[in-house]
Amino acid sequence: MKLIVRYISRHTLLFLAGIAFLSLEAMADLLQPAFMANIVDEGVKQADLGQILRYGTIMLGIALLGAVGAVMRNFFASYTSRLIGKEMRSDLYRKVQTLSFENIDRLQPASIITRITNDVTQIQDFINGCMRIMFKAPITCIGAILLIMIQVPSQIPIMVIILAVCAFLILCNMRLGYPRFGIRQTRLDRLNMVSREFLASIRVVKAFGAETHESEKFDRASGDLSEAGIAAMRVMAVFSPLINLTVNLGTVVLLWRAQYRDAAQIGRLMASVNYMTQILFAVGMVSNILNTAVRAAASAERVREILEEVPVQQETGSKVRGEAAEQEPGEARRESEYYGQVEFRKVSFCYAGAGMESLKDINFRACPGETIGIIGPTGSGKSTLVNLIPRFYDATAGQVLIDGRDVIRMDSVSLRRAVAVVPQKALLFTGTIAENLRWGRQDASPEELRQAAETACADDFVDSMKDGYETLLGQGGVNLSGGQKQRLALARALLRDPKILILDDCTSALDAATEAKVLEGIRKQSQGMTVFLISQRISTVMRADQILCLEEGQIQGLGTHEDLMKTCATYQNIYHSQIGGGAL
Amino acid sequence: MSKPAMTPPPASMKGGIGRGMMRGRPVVKPKDMKGTLLRLWRMTEGKRKGFGWILILSALSSLTAVLSPLVIGNAVTAIDCGEPVAMLLVVLMAVYLGDWLVRFLQQYFMASIGQHVIHHIRTSLFDAMRQLPLSFFDRHRHGELMSRLTNDVDNISTTISDSMSQLLTYLFSIAGIFIMMVKLSPVLTSISLIGAGLVLLLTRVVTKQTRKLFTEQQKILGKLNGQIEESISGFHVVRAFGMEPEMTAQFEQYNEELRRVSTRALIWSGYLMPVTNVINNLSFVALAVISGVMALNGRISIGMISSFLLYIKRFSRPFVEIANVYNHFQTAVAGAERIFEIFDQPKEPDDVPGALPLSAPKGDVELRNVVFGYQPETPILKGISLKIAAGTKTAIVGSTGAGKTTIINLLTRFYDVDCGSILLDGHDLREYRMRDLRNAFGVVLQDTALFAASVRSNISYGHPDVPIGSVVEAAKAAGADAFIRRLPDGYDTVLTQGGLELSQGERQLLTIARAVLADAPILILDEATSSVDTMTEQKIRRAMLKITAGRTSFIIAHRLSTIRDSDLIVLIEDGRIAEKGTHEELMKLGGRYAEMYRTQMGEEKK
Repeated sequence: MKLIVRYISRHTLLFLAGIAFLSLEAMADLLQPAFMANIVDEGVKQADLGQILRYGTIMLGIALLGAVGAVMRNFFASYTSRLIGKEMRSDLYRKVQTLSFENIDRLQPASIITRITNDVTQIQDFINGCMRIMFKAPITCIGAILLIMIQVPSQIPIMVIILAVCAFLILCNMRLGYPRFGIRQTRLDRLNMVSREFLASIRVVKAFGAETHESEKFDRASGDLSEAGIAAMRVMAVFSPLINLTVNLGTVVLLWRAQYRDAAQIGRLMASVNYMTQILFAVGMVSNILNTAVRAAASAERVREILEEVPVQQETGSKVRGEAAEQEPGEARRESEYYGQVEFRKVSFCYAGAGMESLKDINFRACPGETIGIIGPTGSGKSTLVNLIPRFYDATAGQVLIDGRDVIRMDSVSLRRAVAVVPQKALLFTGTIAENLRWGRQDASPEELRQAAETACADDFVDSMKDGYETLLGQGGVNLSGGQKQRLALARALLRDPKILILDDCTSALDAATEAKVLEGIRKQSQGMTVFLISQRISTVMRADQILCLEEGQIQGLGTHEDLMKTCATYQNIYHSQIGGGAL
Repeated sequence: MSKPAMTPPPASMKGGIGRGMMRGRPVVKPKDMKGTLLRLWRMTEGKRKGFGWILILSALSSLTAVLSPLVIGNAVTAIDCGEPVAMLLVVLMAVYLGDWLVRFLQQYFMASIGQHVIHHIRTSLFDAMRQLPLSFFDRHRHGELMSRLTNDVDNISTTISDSMSQLLTYLFSIAGIFIMMVKLSPVLTSISLIGAGLVLLLTRVVTKQTRKLFTEQQKILGKLNGQIEESISGFHVVRAFGMEPEMTAQFEQYNEELRRVSTRALIWSGYLMPVTNVINNLSFVALAVISGVMALNGRISIGMISSFLLYIKRFSRPFVEIANVYNHFQTAVAGAERIFEIFDQPKEPDDVPGALPLSAPKGDVELRNVVFGYQPETPILKGISLKIAAGTKTAIVGSTGAGKTTIINLLTRFYDVDCGSILLDGHDLREYRMRDLRNAFGVVLQDTALFAASVRSNISYGHPDVPIGSVVEAAKAAGADAFIRRLPDGYDTVLTQGGLELSQGERQLLTIARAVLADAPILILDEATSSVDTMTEQKIRRAMLKITAGRTSFIIAHRLSTIRDSDLIVLIEDGRIAEKGTHEELMKLGGRYAEMYRTQMGEEKK
């Protein structure tokens, strides 16, 4: 809730303008019965037609004033709520961009997506409701009560009692409703995850004929959501009629007490009953709005979680980085100022929540222009190791140094500009091929695009496409084969002309001939570039200047192919399994 | 399960959405409010238990709206004349208590009925979606589809559970109050009718505007969601390339667009309430003056005015609310139309009548002059003919993008051939029951799709009832057993979506175990071993040798050494078969294959 208030306070003026017009509208509604009372008491009772017409004219004026209020508050409410919604989405999105990989892993992308979309919508609708109805209800309530009190002072105690009971009921409603709507929201998250998973795995689902299984899963998630929805709404079903009943009984008491009063004030009694009806509607709206308020509060909580998430890396880095920014302005280097020397000093790494270390005591140094091959069995920590270089993750112990400086002290933006990564899974984005390639460098000329594509052996198939470099790719590049995607991802990285190039087993979907050609091209282009080459194939890495043989997070061997063939048993094993016993 | 609810799409709609429909370019056609509502109603078939009760409760609850002002009016008259009112007040109290009970029951039951209907719609939609061909999923952004499953369905849900019961109550109220009003004073009634008429007219004008705007709003919302999904699930690439500013800029653009459109939609739809309110206030003024004049002439009593004024508040209120509810309807209908768009997509082709069952295929496969392209203009396969004897091992090689994966897509009928045919045991694939056909294939695909479930259920995916013993066996055969046992809870370890805590190789091993467990007569291994290190791969190859024995199998691998012992090696170049034969034959031929092999081996031996 605090969060919502904070956002509203950014637009205090707009919000207040809306509320002001809303009050105007409410006042207009409230004054009608008061003048009606005058018509009855002063006009009808006194048989004075002039009075009737006079009060009638006043009522007309008030009605028109109310109209102006209504139209204006509608505009302000719509404008402000959507503006805040936009800002909130925007803040969330930008915040997520600053989070570390560990944060995002933990929050889960699916959940983040729901928060940016659904939760913000809930909040935005709530704010809109606030500016339309929620504030009108108390204004109407209080105004009506005041008017009853002024006109019929003897009714004050009744009004107080009614108010107290209503307040109590509304409070109970909130207490019971809040957690139930929270559960509903969690279940909605789960439903989103199930459908997202289904969409992402559609090929496997179909191949294994598991459509029914997925349907059942979805069915369960959807059923759970429905149940949670029912539970939440049943709370409302109990309380909102009770609140109604309270106000209605108030009317009965009002009439009961009125019979002992002066009959000459009949117009005022009528007005009082009329006000009770208005209070009834207003209170009815309160419980309605609460419905959204509870949802909005749950949503705000989930939005806040992201906004207040502390980036894991910043925690250690920001202090240092803060210092760096103030005291050593030279820290934020341009990429041309990197040489590409990489050194690992006693580096260990452990994923958050994982019991064991993924990397243990890693020591090595790579000089500019060198190619470092990294080989090792599945899960030996190859990818984890290279992920520390562009600071996707920070080492839990030891230091990763580039050009002799700890990466933690570096500005990650300029660092990442100097490092290009080609991940195992080639991810492309909606847009044209050229747009995807330009991720490497925004201002790359068409010739440069072509050159990078040529080096990555991608130009042939791109040219064969109808629209060439302007071919539109679907989400994730679905219209390309795995090998094509990998080559585009490679070209994208090459275009950036990095000081450090990380090839994370990114040629796995290429046939041997293409791979050889690609690597050859890279070597030619890579003078002065430090290349990390992760592969499963010994043939890919054996020509590297240094080969790092990993097993279970530890370096088993470090040296050239010849060195390792002599000294490293793990390496020999791999060699023999691949080259020696190729035919099995 | 919900077959009857899925009405066949009208022929006219089917024609518009064919192969050519592209993402982001929806078919703009006159949106059909009545038709959509009718379809929604038909969808609730079988779920309408309780609708009758809701109807009765709605009628009852409007009774209070009709009775209480009359009683109050009489009480006011009584007080005015100094008569006792105790009896009238007891009646009033009884009316209110009845109102409370009815309201409670109505809301209580409506909650579950509404939710059940929505659950039904959601599952039907999912059911329809899962029957769509792969090409549909390749064409649409996942975020956009998800938006339909949740946002759009939610819109319908709000309408049904919140608005439906109110709508009924209001309709009953209007009828009841109208009768009472006419009885009290026909003159005053006709004045209030003018007001109500104005409200209705206004509603029509406004809703016409808003429906278009709401549809547009939902569309942009889908686009925005798609962008968010893509950039957040692909965040590591975004981050690696420092593309945060660009992605953010694109996001901001959609975000602003959404703000603009939805503000407009909201302002338009928001005019209804205040303006109807104003009309009501105006007619209230007119009534006050006229009734005052009438009372002056003695044609109407004070109590009657009191009743009438209460009635008019209650009479106009339903109109305001109906207008409001109608607004909700706009959103719901716009959402429903997007949902029905999915229902109207051509499904994966049904089994032909009298489709052949396929329980234990021998595994003779024949491709006859197969032509296929994802876009008809650019064929990937340009006439492939191939005969494969049951129980043999066929390797498909070729440079990347030559169409190797496409052949797999065709064999499993993810896509159907454009020309020519594929035969299994002498019958066209399309003659078999789809379900049986897919069961006949065990596949390991390039994408390692793992689910947020235990390792065990990931391996037994598609066969949930197999005992743990078989799961372990399959894992052992795939060489995955060792690392699974190292996981915190072994086979019961629950993976996150996509199995991100595992390495790519481990994920691959799990998907291989999955295929092993499926124990299908025909195996397809699509680049399956590419991400497994060679030591692990040795194990897999040994296991594969075991399970491919006696099975027709297709292997797409890049290391030519892995496929040397295949019975048939097919080299595909430019969508055609360039060479085929055994390893020895092709080496003797000295063509492209031999060249590729020598490049690779030579490089490896250096």
